[in-house]
Amino acid sequence: MRLHFVAWFFTFVLVAVMTLAPGISHSQSSVRPPGSAVTFPDAPEAGPSNTLGDQSDSDIWRTIRGGAPRDPAVIFAPTAEGALMTTTGQQWRVLRENVLRKYLGWAPVAVIGLLALVYLVRGPMRIKGGRSGKTLPRFTLTARVGHWFMAVVFILLAISGLIILLGRVAIAPYLGKEVNSVLTSAALQGHNLFGPLFILALVWMFFAFVKGNFFHPHDIKWMLRAGGLFGHHVSSRKFNFGEKSWFWMVILVGIVMSATGILLLFPWLSDDLRLHQLSTILHVLGGVLLLSVAIGHIYVGTIGMEGSIDSMLKGEVDENWAKEHHDIWYEQMTGKSARDDAPENSAQKADAQSKEATS
Amino acid sequence: MTFLEFVEGPFFYFAAIVFLLGAGWKVLGLLRLGRRPDIAPPNGSAAWGFVRGNLRHFVPRGIFSRRTWLHILAGYAFHVALFVLVFFATFHIAFIERFTGLSWPALPRWGFIIVADIAFAGLIALWVRRISDPVMRQITRREDHVSTILTFLVMLTGCLALQESHDSLRATHMLFVNIWLIYFPFSRLMHAFTFVLSRGHTGATYGRKGMNL
Repeated sequence: MRLHFVAWFFTFVLVAVMTLAPGISHSQSSVRPPGSAVTFPDAPEAGPSNTLGDQSDSDIWRTIRGGAPRDPAVIFAPTAEGALMTTTGQQWRVLRENVLRKYLGWAPVAVIGLLALVYLVRGPMRIKGGRSGKTLPRFTLTARVGHWFMAVVFILLAISGLIILLGRVAIAPYLGKEVNSVLTSAALQGHNLFGPLFILALVWMFFAFVKGNFFHPHDIKWMLRAGGLFGHHVSSRKFNFGEKSWFWMVILVGIVMSATGILLLFPWLSDDLRLHQLSTILHVLGGVLLLSVAIGHIYVGTIGMEGSIDSMLKGEVDENWAKEHHDIWYEQMTGKSARDDAPENSAQKADAQSKEATS
Repeated sequence: MTFLEFVEGPFFYFAAIVFLLGAGWKVLGLLRLGRRPDIAPPNGSAAWGFVRGNLRHFVPRGIFSRRTWLHILAGYAFHVALFVLVFFATFHIAFIERFTGLSWPALPRWGFIIVADIAFAGLIALWVRRISDPVMRQITRREDHVSTILTFLVMLTGCLALQESHDSLRATHMLFVNIWLIYFPFSRLMHAFTFVLSRGHTGATYGRKGMNL
């Protein structure tokens, strides 16, 4: 019983010491006024009250911004009434970092994957009946040089543009920040240098190819039958609906790319920061769109369709190719009907005729 | 020794020596070939024909100018702009000054950009014409493509190093410059020197015959 009491007593003392010790220690080390200090009798005992103000932080920032952060009127207004600053940069940064940089780079990759699948499943589009050996002139030298000029400049811009856009997410994690820094510095200089050449190429392309690229009622049939993708033959003039769409996409998106590129290259042309932010977004979207479709264009122009590349390398195409893909243009060029028979192999036909003659 | 020091030092000296000796040897070889003896009495001055032949070829012939306007435009754009870039870019003048002590006024940065764009436009147009024109394709050899691509890479790496932010970019440019200098005497790049001789030879031959070029 006594032992029990002693245990309780020591426990009490221990708890009391632990509880009071910090207070004792604090009181011993607290700062006291010096002996010469003057204390005014009417001095307030406590500091000023309500130091946090009457408004919350959110209200203060809402006032500075001129409205709620997600209010479209605030996002898109030049400067909201009463606002002290524009905050569009925040939305721009979020869009660029969280959406464009994250997902946009996959678009060209997806197109390449899709085309690889098409190639594996369907294979290249061969000229029915083979090459005839006779050719038709399709593009002038000026048009061909303009096309390849654009192609070279576009590829250089695409490579440098992708490095600038995706270097931080696609290069830095794998090759290191130093390599990314070198490549981005180089890509930026190259992109700025070749930008003006793109404008030159665009003007050249427009004048070289605009003739024949205006839309025509024939194009509706071509569009509805998906260009004969599912087996139906579709008539076409010199340019089919797909080629016309590609031409106008290059010209119109190219104009947007040129205008936004000029603004980014010469930022002093406008004081409106939103215009610069919009320019970077449009420039990126336009660039990736052109690149993705250009990959399809390259596929059809090379391994996807037999005989296509001749038009841009030699300026001439095989007659059977013309009959098959641009029958109306073939008829205009030759004065002969493209539907008399299927695309023929003239060499074979000539052989057959000579055999008939000898027999 | 860093890679930059190597390509701007020993490797550059080696490339410059190969360039000077090789190009000099080729030009001297051509001069030593001389002319075939012509026993016909001269009707005009061969020396004046040499000069006229060189000057006349700078101006396109009327009957060909419409067909060859692209070649003429791109050719002049590239060659004149390249000359300006090589001798009037700030970095090149500083580089030449380091070895010779000579210096002269340089292009401003905006001028460099414009001239570089003109040079690139000309070179690309000339090269794509080479692959697009059936006749040009027939007379083009692999070394023409190598020369064009090498010249393009020298120009490109130079412009990529424009920000002067990384030694590695400058070193890459110098590496391509050195390769270009070594390749020069053994390729059709020699036309930079031999065009005077070939045009002059034609001009002198016709000048001696008294033909109006």
